[in-house]
Amino acid sequence: MVETKNEPRIGVFLCHCGTNIAGSINIEEVKNYAKTLDGVVIADEYQYMCSTPGQSKIIDAINENNLNGVVVAACSPRLHEPTFRMATQEGGLNQFRFEMANIRDQNSWVHMHDLEGATEKAKDQVLIAVAKARMLEDLQPKSVPVEHAALVLGAGVGGMQAALDLANAGIKTYLVEKLPTIGGRMSQLDKTFPTLDCSQCILTPKMVDVGRHPLIELRTYTEVEKVEGYIGNFTITLRHKARGVLDPDQAAARAAATGILGTGCNGCGDCDAVCPVIKPNPFEMGMAPRKAIYIYHAQVMPLQYTIDFDACVKCGLCVDACGSEKNAIDLEAVDTFEEIKVGTCILAIGFDLIPIEEKREWGYKQYDNVITGLEFERLICASGPTVGHLIRPSDGKTPMKIGFVLCAGSRDNTGGVNKAYCSRFCCMYSLKHAHQIMEKIPGAVPYLFYMDIRSFGKMYEEFYYRIQNEGAKFIRGRVANILEDPITKNLIVNTEDTLLGRPVAMEMDMVVLAAAVQPKPEAEHIRQMFGVSKSQDGWLLEAHPKLNPCGTTTAGIYLAGVCQGPKDIPDTVAQAEGAASAASIPIHMGEVQLEPYFAMCMEDLCAGCGMCLNQCPYGALDLIEKNGRTVMEVTEAKCKGCGTCGGFCPGGAIKMQHFTSPQICAQIDAFLLKGGVN
Amino acid sequence: MAKVKEYGNAELEEKLRDTSYYTDDSNPQFLEDVKKISRTAANMCFQCGTCTGSCPSAPRSSYRIRLFMRKGVLGLEKEALNDPDLWLCTTCYSCTDRCPRDLAPTDVIMAMRNLAFKFDIVPRNFLKTVQLIYNSGHGVPNNDVNRAARVKLGLPADPPTTHSYPEFIPGIQKIMDFYKMKENADRILSEGEH
Amino acid sequence: MAGNMRQYAFFLGCIAPNRYPGCEAAAIKTSAKLGIELLPLKGAGCCPAPGAFGAIDLKVWYALAARNIVLAEEMKMDITLICNGCYKSIWEVNHILKHNDELRDGVNEVLAEVDMEFKGSIDVWHLIELYYDKKVCGVEKVRDSVVRPLTGTKIAAHYGCHLLKPKKERHFGDTDNPMWFEALIEALGAESVQYRNKMQCCGAGGGVRGYDLTHSLDITNEKLINLEEVGADALTEVCPFCQLQYDRGQVEIEEKFGKKYGLPVLHYNELLGLAQGMTPQELALDLHAIDCTPFLEKIR
Repeated sequence: MVETKNEPRIGVFLCHCGTNIAGSINIEEVKNYAKTLDGVVIADEYQYMCSTPGQSKIIDAINENNLNGVVVAACSPRLHEPTFRMATQEGGLNQFRFEMANIRDQNSWVHMHDLEGATEKAKDQVLIAVAKARMLEDLQPKSVPVEHAALVLGAGVGGMQAALDLANAGIKTYLVEKLPTIGGRMSQLDKTFPTLDCSQCILTPKMVDVGRHPLIELRTYTEVEKVEGYIGNFTITLRHKARGVLDPDQAAARAAATGILGTGCNGCGDCDAVCPVIKPNPFEMGMAPRKAIYIYHAQVMPLQYTIDFDACVKCGLCVDACGSEKNAIDLEAVDTFEEIKVGTCILAIGFDLIPIEEKREWGYKQYDNVITGLEFERLICASGPTVGHLIRPSDGKTPMKIGFVLCAGSRDNTGGVNKAYCSRFCCMYSLKHAHQIMEKIPGAVPYLFYMDIRSFGKMYEEFYYRIQNEGAKFIRGRVANILEDPITKNLIVNTEDTLLGRPVAMEMDMVVLAAAVQPKPEAEHIRQMFGVSKSQDGWLLEAHPKLNPCGTTTAGIYLAGVCQGPKDIPDTVAQAEGAASAASIPIHMGEVQLEPYFAMCMEDLCAGCGMCLNQCPYGALDLIEKNGRTVMEVTEAKCKGCGTCGGFCPGGAIKMQHFTSPQICAQIDAFLLKGGVN
Repeated sequence: MAKVKEYGNAELEEKLRDTSYYTDDSNPQFLEDVKKISRTAANMCFQCGTCTGSCPSAPRSSYRIRLFMRKGVLGLEKEALNDPDLWLCTTCYSCTDRCPRDLAPTDVIMAMRNLAFKFDIVPRNFLKTVQLIYNSGHGVPNNDVNRAARVKLGLPADPPTTHSYPEFIPGIQKIMDFYKMKENADRILSEGEH
Repeated sequence: MAGNMRQYAFFLGCIAPNRYPGCEAAAIKTSAKLGIELLPLKGAGCCPAPGAFGAIDLKVWYALAARNIVLAEEMKMDITLICNGCYKSIWEVNHILKHNDELRDGVNEVLAEVDMEFKGSIDVWHLIELYYDKKVCGVEKVRDSVVRPLTGTKIAAHYGCHLLKPKKERHFGDTDNPMWFEALIEALGAESVQYRNKMQCCGAGGGVRGYDLTHSLDITNEKLINLEEVGADALTEVCPFCQLQYDRGQVEIEEKFGKKYGLPVLHYNELLGLAQGMTPQELALDLHAIDCTPFLEKIR
């Protein structure tokens, strides 16, 4: 057998992608061109290169032609690089002896109507890919062990479900929640559509399961301070916000450490009774008071009081009320920190309503009787501030005509507080609100002002039918504005009945705005810590909208619930289970393979100046002593192969594997000189 | 917008008439009456337009059966009943066959016509049918040309209906009188002749 | 009559006996050859007209239709009829009153005034469905009764609305493109011709013919255009009111719109009569507004 190791023998394979590529590019012409390129020993094409016969062509060609480099000109590497690498490997080559030219996304799709231009461009793309393929080297992926623990950030229904799934799969799971209790938005809801289950009734058992699961480490009133590491080996620093109240475990730890006795908080509420400071309770959307020492509601998990130190006057009455036996209150508490190690993380950080008061035309916070859907939930809820009696804020009377403004800020391209997207659950909860009104207030009539009723889920359209049948009125028209009768405080809703083709001015006793949802304000900081992108609309970005909806582009970080985009409870729980499954895979595998695109120090060229260390965004570089010299060393598991150090190194001592300077220069030369050099 | 203008000028007030729909324009009983007479759940219309799309009268007129469904849901009684388009339904039932909500828009129209009659709103040709049936038992009675033709065919000059058995006519009249139908038809027709 | 004849009370309605008596004569004679004996329903009146009369007060419509049904109940005989409008009134009221106690009680309250009671003891049939029904007659039997096949003619079917629709309350199935009527046409030796928008309404119903004749005729004219397009020699239907609209309507269309078609329009029983050897005179085809001669010449 002829020694061919250093002599390039490249195979070029062109994919038609049905008509996606072949419809706009002359494949035959590009193939013939490829055959003329230096080092190319075979050029072939196929209708679907990714199919089994297509891959067989590659495998057979490697063996028959003794190839040492493979170029596939097809779709995006993001879609099929792994596919063709596998084929390359099956053909007996190192999988990194493969280069891809994206002649679909970056060529045929954008030059759909320019066959000639697209064909020329495809030739250039193949030329460039071949130039690199001639210089490819064997590389070995790096295996790293995976920490047998996971983090779930956010303990709403999505986070709780993900944590339960992970824990039930035998993985120690840290469930971190910013608020003093788990439960999230769902615990604020009265009933859930379309089944009309009581939200608390189906949620509370799950909260209890979370609280007592031996593998769930619950961290409430806690935020993520810092994220370090990579898939398999994240080090997360948690900030336990000063709560001022010790739970029994913390009290026991204190006794052991300091000898101060006390059994800790048992949720008796004696402190609450004596606290003189009154603040609005955000759980009740500010419609009910709480004290400076408080719990959100009766079903909190854990049942442990919290001091709002921004409000607390440190009068000490609560300490006395708590008494020496429990001795649970510590008015001098400060934030503490905890470092945890996990293999994978799930972000389930939820959503907020938009500040709907900024839509001035609808009068929220101008008119007493305009409320939001979430406020309605609390007002209609038996455990809410009015014990379930829906009343008008202006005079406490029972409203008989209630308007529901759908798409309040959703599907609105005007920017700012407005959102271009559909918030996806407002139609359904407004239908549910309509039902609740008719159920609770005899003779009351709900009027739903809508553009479309989007009742897409299982049994949702049937629910819509049911509510219409119960007597709800539907006006197809987006509400232009709402005016208040200055005397009665009734509201005049102006829109067009687009089905009638007439302006509408309907007097309502109360109006409920189905406000759009938006990402949490802290989502931006969190996503930066975890290295997650966001989509145009601000929500956290999934790895692929269809084929990887739970993953992110950062390995080991997964998404669940509305933080990835608006979704209702069933979809949130489904995505949470998907994210938990995905997050458990690396943990159960025990190790992960990292792509070997690391920076590599060529020690004989390294001067040990250390200037690269500060350039590295990932802290992957260190200076070490080796053979009596100071040289740089790369921690491969931390290195993301970004190339910052390689481009910066004054001595040219850092080699970026798979993206070496000679490889890149060869590509540039090939393009500029049209293959004129070797 | 102020509903009452008091400009003292009828033409001006009509030109500038407030076309808005207000809640108090609605008579909820109208929808209930329509449902009862039509025996269909008229409140369940979701305004898809399949009915108008199926309607042979729609393309050649301003008649939109979907709009009548809408006015029923909104309780716009006067508007629906005073609309001359109400009488353009040929009752072909194509809309009823295709309605995705399994409603019978045709029967809603029939119900609205029944309700219109209670307000004396009804085209004259409908009333004339009432009078003919009351007097002869037939909406399209026999005539001499036809009698001659029947005889030529070997049929009796008058068919074996109320035409041959006029003793049945009082029964028909009793039934119609029970509902004061003839009385109302006569009154409306005579008022129209003034 | 032979003992194997099925007997029905023949509900005539208005237009057949009083405008197209040939339909009445043909129905009686042709049915006899198919084992169906039609007996007079003495004292019957208007069905009454479902659109023109029902539009005013459905309660009276129920009661007057019920009166006609009770006449047949007293004969202990099912009703058959040859008009879709009559079918709508008589079949539907019979059906509704059988299934709706509240309405039936209301109707019986009125009928008591004339010493009648709706019992729900009989069924109502359109004669055409008896012809198609194998248990009663069937297409084969119709074919076997033909002595003068209508060979060489292209005949279009008009089903009419009130026979088939609303389909959820009827038993005829498909109302968008049914083919059973065509089978009965072909049984006579004719070619049944398909045309655009076959199921469109004649335009006469619902009182529209009386209310806005121009509007009504514009609907009628649409079908005539579609029939001209495929070169139909005749249109056949099973409803004298549709027949009136297409037959006399052509005269009115010529007057109003200046369009002339000369398309013969025959009730299926008239066609069947011709195929069974009846003469045009026996069918009073001279009473038709549109001259049937061109069609008759084709089958001579």
